[in-house]
Amino acid sequence: MAPPQLVANYERLKAAFGSPHADQKSIGQLLLQLKIALTEARLLIPGSNSSLEDLVITRDVLEMGAFWSVRNKDIPAFDRYFSQLQTFYLDFRSQLPPSPREYPLIGLNLIRLLTQNRIGDFHTTLETLPPNILGENPFIQHPVHLERWLMEGSYNKVWQEREAAPSEEYKFFVDSLMETIRREIASCEEKAYDSLPLSDAMNLLFFTKPSDLMIFAQERGWNVDPTTQAIHFARKAEETIEIPKEKIIINSLAYAKELEQIV
Amino acid sequence: MDVDAAPKPTPADSTPEAEKPAPKSEPISPNVEIKQNLVLIDRAVTTLEPRFTHRVLRTLNHLRKKLNDEVLSKAVEECYARDSPAKAALFQYLHAPATMDVDIPNGDAKPQAAGTSDPLPEGDAYIRLLILLHLSGSKDTTEKAMALAHETVERIQALNRRTMDVIAAKVYVYLARLYEVTDRLAEIRPLLLAAQRTATLRRDPDSQATLINLLLRNYLHYNLYSQADKLVSKSTFPDSAGNPQWARYQYYLGRIHAVQLSYTQAHTELLQAIRRAPAAKTAPGFWQTVHKFFIVVELLMGDIPDRALFRQPVLRKPLEPYLQIVRAVRIGDLAHFQSALQTYTAQFQHDKSYTLILRLRHNVIKTGIRSISLAYSRISLRDICTKLSLDSEEDAEYIVGKAIRDGVVEGILDHQKGVMICSRKGDVYSTAEPGEVFGRRIDFCLDLHNESVKAMRFPLNAHRKDLASSEAVREREKNIAKGIAEGEIDDDDEMDF
Repeated sequence: MAPPQLVANYERLKAAFGSPHADQKSIGQLLLQLKIALTEARLLIPGSNSSLEDLVITRDVLEMGAFWSVRNKDIPAFDRYFSQLQTFYLDFRSQLPPSPREYPLIGLNLIRLLTQNRIGDFHTTLETLPPNILGENPFIQHPVHLERWLMEGSYNKVWQEREAAPSEEYKFFVDSLMETIRREIASCEEKAYDSLPLSDAMNLLFFTKPSDLMIFAQERGWNVDPTTQAIHFARKAEETIEIPKEKIIINSLAYAKELEQIV
Repeated sequence: MDVDAAPKPTPADSTPEAEKPAPKSEPISPNVEIKQNLVLIDRAVTTLEPRFTHRVLRTLNHLRKKLNDEVLSKAVEECYARDSPAKAALFQYLHAPATMDVDIPNGDAKPQAAGTSDPLPEGDAYIRLLILLHLSGSKDTTEKAMALAHETVERIQALNRRTMDVIAAKVYVYLARLYEVTDRLAEIRPLLLAAQRTATLRRDPDSQATLINLLLRNYLHYNLYSQADKLVSKSTFPDSAGNPQWARYQYYLGRIHAVQLSYTQAHTELLQAIRRAPAAKTAPGFWQTVHKFFIVVELLMGDIPDRALFRQPVLRKPLEPYLQIVRAVRIGDLAHFQSALQTYTAQFQHDKSYTLILRLRHNVIKTGIRSISLAYSRISLRDICTKLSLDSEEDAEYIVGKAIRDGVVEGILDHQKGVMICSRKGDVYSTAEPGEVFGRRIDFCLDLHNESVKAMRFPLNAHRKDLASSEAVREREKNIAKGIAEGEIDDDDEMDF
């Protein structure tokens, strides 16, 4: 049974978390104390002999820690909390009552994987989810749709989705996604268009002010023509076709060796 | 000992238990067959040749159909010594009817001689395997079967005999199967992991291979792809494992890599699995499953699988849903794709390929854009939008832009007029591509040739005959040379040869 000090701290954390004007620093302190206490009570890495309430307490603490780290934009901490939560979600699934914060957290993790472009891990995590959750849960639907639209390239849908994020923490990740998207759109435009009027460029790149657009254009090295108010994309010259000398030599030597081995 | 020339004992040698001889080759009664198998196992142990054990296990499949309590009780009765404790232990797993025990010592028309001593541990393991097979056949005996399996596994592990490896591997397979049937696979994972470690330490390739495959199957059953991946990276699959195990291993690897988006690797592995698998008639289930994933991976890579694949008789019905998906992707019709997906959702989820097929949506769009760019030299974005059933014109613009960037199509967008202008694709023979593809095929054929040469097996003493004849030839040549040297035979006589 967890020591009463632990339980008291846990109650305080829950209260502080629930209140709208939470002081992030104090929550951080509470979390630190709780983690130390949990480790002492051997609950942080759960064994098979911990009681049910203790496990629930540990899981709740870790979940709140994960949310807090996202609000404070501390991604490595979120990583740590989330990986510690995995044992609770997977191995103890049959014993513990389902937590309401489980799917939001999984969704947050999915978005984080998206922003870091770890698409392989994204899909592997998706596989572990049961199919009905995939179809219905809004927290999971959001990153799934985002990934699909990113793959297809309908970036305007992604832009509209950012308003429809299911919870506050999602917005943080979606914002960082926006930067990636802008770069993607820019590289698409460089290849696809010869020239683009400035107003249209602003729309396509989701900029509101022309000055932002100019800064962006400077970074990408585009040629802005003030007279026609258009951006001209430099067409790269055709690269000279090189003969792949090394490969041909290696291949020919291999063939010669095999031929010689024929008895 | 001329090992190879020994034929299997013919039915004519069997005891009076054999059934009435029929005009064609008579079916051997199961008891006789069990006895023969035990003899073979004995020979395998004494000569240390695993070939005999393999032969015994090959009969396992059709022997299984003939097994029942009666046959097994008789077998246990005959093969073990009269009062051996092992016999008693085995009898408790069988419903040995009381009448049988009374009849046997009386000796009726069929004289049953009890064996003089316990069979070798391998024979014992084989009999246990047969009982296990029989018990796992019906649902209500699963508990007993599990107890028997655990007991057998403990015995095998305690004994650590290399000759028992092949049978041990089979026992593990059926143990895992029992747990799978009762839906308790997670419990057996630690046991399988420990057994796999032991097998690796003892350099037991058959058990190692089987156990790795069982573990992978376990993980994939629960969709734990990352753990399966870790297992694959940390363990080495033994090279000397048999073809069926290799086929299974490649199939599991292919599935893991397909989920992790390495489609080319998954494709090669699934192809290997198909090649190493037994013929379609003998193992239709495996054939179908591997082909399903093969088709999906090929679609994800951007190639369209061959139509002839779907016409094979074994594959025609199960692959019907996949045929619809292939059609949709080939034409590039998103609506068709969606409807096919809806109709066959349950089937795909059962096959665990649903998530992979969801990823195909992007491929459908890509193919659609590609076919449009080939057909039109200039097309407005609105028309693209209707043809691909996209949601809006901006969507179409972004998607086409991305396609151009990815190199799917060659073309230019004109934003003011809202059109896409497509250019003709260059000549492919002027690039190095044909050379590379050709090189890949040459490498593959050479590898195949070298592997076949390495895998050739020569019978043990066959070269002695050649040696003898070559000795004779050499003798003759020496005589001829001597004759010439001594001048006995001159040039004219040589014409006689």
